[in-house]
Amino acid sequence: MMNFQNIILALKEFWSQKGCLLIEPYDVEKGAATFNPATFFGAISSSPVQIAYPEPCRRPADGRYGDNPNRLGKYYQFQVLLKPVPRDVTDLYMGSLRSLGLDVKKHDLRWIEDDWESPTLGASGLGWEVWLDGMEITQFTYFQQMGQAPLFPVSVEITYGLERIAMYLQKKDSVFDLHFNDERSYGQMFKEAERQFSVYNFEEADVEMLGRHFEDYEKEGARLVLKGLPLPAYDCVLKLSHCFNVLEARGSVSVTERAQYIARVRGLAKKVINCYLELENVEKKEFINQR
Amino acid sequence: MSRKKNSSTSAKAEPKDYLLEIGMEPLPARFLSSALKSLSSKMEEALKAGRLSFKSVKTFGTPRRLAILIEKVSPKSEASSEKFFGPPASRLKNPDGTYSSAADGFARKYETTADKLLIETTVKGEQLAVMVNRPGLSAREILAKAAVEAVSSLEFPKSMEWEDSRFKFARPIRSFVSLWGDEPVSFSLAGIKTSRALRGLNGEGAKIEDASEYEKILRNMAVLASLEERRQALIKKLDWSAAEGGGDWDKDEDLISEITAMTEHPVPVLGRFDKKFLELPQPLISLVLKKQLKFFPLKNSGQLISAFIGVRDGISEGQNLVKEGFERVLVARLNDAVFFFGRDRKRPLESYLEELKRVTYQKDLGTMAEKAARVEKLAENLIGLLSDFPIIKNSLADIARLCYADLTTGLVKEFPELQGSLGGVYARLDGKDERIALGLEEFYFPLGPKTPIPTTVEGGLASLAGKLDSLAGCFAAGLIPTGNADPYALRRQAFGVIRIALERQLPMDLEEAVSFALATQPIVLAEERFSQIRDELLDFLWGRAQSLFEEKGFAIDEIRAVKAGGLKNLSRTYLRLSALKSVRKDADFEPLAISFKRASNILKQAHYENGNTIFHEERLVDPSELGLFEFLKTTETSLNEKREADDFDGMLKSLTKVKPHLDLFFEKVMVMAEDMELRQARLSLLGKMVRLFKEVADLSEIQGASSK
Repeated sequence: MMNFQNIILALKEFWSQKGCLLIEPYDVEKGAATFNPATFFGAISSSPVQIAYPEPCRRPADGRYGDNPNRLGKYYQFQVLLKPVPRDVTDLYMGSLRSLGLDVKKHDLRWIEDDWESPTLGASGLGWEVWLDGMEITQFTYFQQMGQAPLFPVSVEITYGLERIAMYLQKKDSVFDLHFNDERSYGQMFKEAERQFSVYNFEEADVEMLGRHFEDYEKEGARLVLKGLPLPAYDCVLKLSHCFNVLEARGSVSVTERAQYIARVRGLAKKVINCYLELENVEKKEFINQR
Repeated sequence: MSRKKNSSTSAKAEPKDYLLEIGMEPLPARFLSSALKSLSSKMEEALKAGRLSFKSVKTFGTPRRLAILIEKVSPKSEASSEKFFGPPASRLKNPDGTYSSAADGFARKYETTADKLLIETTVKGEQLAVMVNRPGLSAREILAKAAVEAVSSLEFPKSMEWEDSRFKFARPIRSFVSLWGDEPVSFSLAGIKTSRALRGLNGEGAKIEDASEYEKILRNMAVLASLEERRQALIKKLDWSAAEGGGDWDKDEDLISEITAMTEHPVPVLGRFDKKFLELPQPLISLVLKKQLKFFPLKNSGQLISAFIGVRDGISEGQNLVKEGFERVLVARLNDAVFFFGRDRKRPLESYLEELKRVTYQKDLGTMAEKAARVEKLAENLIGLLSDFPIIKNSLADIARLCYADLTTGLVKEFPELQGSLGGVYARLDGKDERIALGLEEFYFPLGPKTPIPTTVEGGLASLAGKLDSLAGCFAAGLIPTGNADPYALRRQAFGVIRIALERQLPMDLEEAVSFALATQPIVLAEERFSQIRDELLDFLWGRAQSLFEEKGFAIDEIRAVKAGGLKNLSRTYLRLSALKSVRKDADFEPLAISFKRASNILKQAHYENGNTIFHEERLVDPSELGLFEFLKTTETSLNEKREADDFDGMLKSLTKVKPHLDLFFEKVMVMAEDMELRQARLSLLGKMVRLFKEVADLSEIQGASSK
């Protein structure tokens, strides 16, 4: 039986063998591995990309005080981004499942249409969620748009839901019962954090402060874009997005405000993209070389 | 000529089957069957246009492949020659004797030169002409072109790009197999060259030598390529599994089609879950099973049992692992449902109304609480439109008041598809009257074009009120559906309004109901704008009524003939239509319709309007017009009785007897007499006849047999 950290190691090993650059998680809060700048800029850049990395993700509104066996406010994804897309990419993916000890012939592997959209990044893509015996274990997305502009060349993103895969492999009904390594359980490591962050996100977060930070990072990001610094400006996009997520979990965002917040994050993301493309295309700066 | 050539070539030139397979990454299930239809019609058209004969067409489709097998395709297309005409012959040459640019241009268009042009005499005089001879082309040449064009022009609800040529398709194409018999019909598209490689369910490969082996090779790799065969196999195996599970499986058509389209080799897996979950509301369990996991629920005498059938794709290796996996996922989902259900049930449904104040319906149309208040008021107003109809007013009021309460429960927030049905479940648990619970449960009915409408009159009226309010609000806010875009599902709601009014036989004036609904909207409209929007909405509703009547087999001109006042009482409109349809079969009907049209046209040209002139019947002199007058007078009396009894058939039959009188009238008198009073009298006479007919149908809308 594979423990949680061995799953990450196996995926790293597999994709490293396939020529991926193994990078480590990015150190700013984010809701999904897609938000890691390596993927964000990797997708919009015209350079080839082959990267793989685990990424902790925060979804404040999904926290359940550690009481729900299937829900977490913070969890782990394993992300692969490939550009250009190899022709045998779905076979490669099935190979990665074999590296986790899953013989796909003995299971029901189903590709369910699931198009991805991120309103805050003005991004969209087409693809699937992959079901293993009924459980969604992976998002598979061909990016088509970022900042509302078409992407070319197209990249494919494979996002493994690590807890889901571990629950399947270890036959556990609660995420907290997962073996992180052979001694420690996922619950021992994170259950208390789930509780405390749920209290924070739902009850304690300082709404006024978060609103202020949102404003500040928005201004800072816009200023940095004007200085031709899209990378630090993108950090501001991540900060905006996280402030908004906490405010929403805290229940202090009305329907109309919600649309406005999202539009503001998207607005800055778009500026960052344009700034980045300007540097890459006009000044021929190559800042992403991830192959 | 070409035929002779063919028979003289070797025995090899026999017709052969043509196979085209597009190998893809998994295609969304909902795209499959229309893509196959479109592929086959495009290929058929292309072969016909290329004059390449074939016997028949079969399609195959799985998530991984779209394929077409065209049987017995001739080796060569038929040769043809066709003459095309161009500018007048006089323009062939310039004064200096050289060929004119017009002649050059015309010749070039048909890939020839001006000296080869012919001069032909036509009705237009002498014209330049060109004879285009198309030799027979080889099947492979035509097929390759047809395949490339068909694949390139397939359209999907959503397409994507994935490779350098920026080809667009629903999902990435990974292979093409294109064979005429054993010979490759090569092409290259989307960065892929045709090959002989077929792919099995788990990525295993096989090489195909001849097009005709296609189905067999795939079957050997456990792929049932034919959609229909796969569907039948699935149904049969589901029957077996259900028998083993001790219940009947829920034969949900949408789910059967979806599973058929998303598998290559469907194998049912019977699973079970803890009986304690059966305490959850049944619609919720069904939803979790069907919508979330694509499992078939099992039932015993209409009640769910603690077993289900999941379907896996592939052969039965590791069946137990799959079963365990299915069961574990289901338990996780059901536990989630238990969590929300338990939280919701801590307080009664009624208490959720308060939270509607914090839910926006639409930015110009206020909150859901405001919408709920409008619906309540509208439902009350609708009772007024149904004078003697038996209605339990308190039940209707309760349904209308509570219809949106479930929207703020945890379960509906989690599973929006449960709206309505969950309200019913909670109302029952709260001890509400069954009539109210059922009304809430069916508030959003009908959910589809053929699914049931609310069972009770009270439920039907509440549902009508909800739909009319949405329609009126959206129309007032300018959110009118255009083309395919209908984000507020207004077409479906309008269709629901029509179906409820018609199938419940509600003698309700929908024109009035629409006015009520519009008047309660928070958007204040000036008088002129109000009636403009009202007319637009009525037209929109009539449009749905028209499609419904068309589906029931009425012709479009018949439906037009009953449009006037059609929404004032839909059940009557239906009877009027049936009367018209049955009378139309009579041999006399069409000539009558023609005479009627003549009468209508005369009235129109004379700008005659009913009621604004005095009928000087004493001015009628000719026996023919007196005859018509007498007929109408006696008939009118008998019509009153028939009208009372809704006997539109009888009305129309009596009226059609006017034919000989009308014919004689047209034969003997001229309506537009010099004498103005006489003219008015005759116009009034025709006006009266037209008016009587229009109570049933406006025959001037009826198209002649020739133009039908």
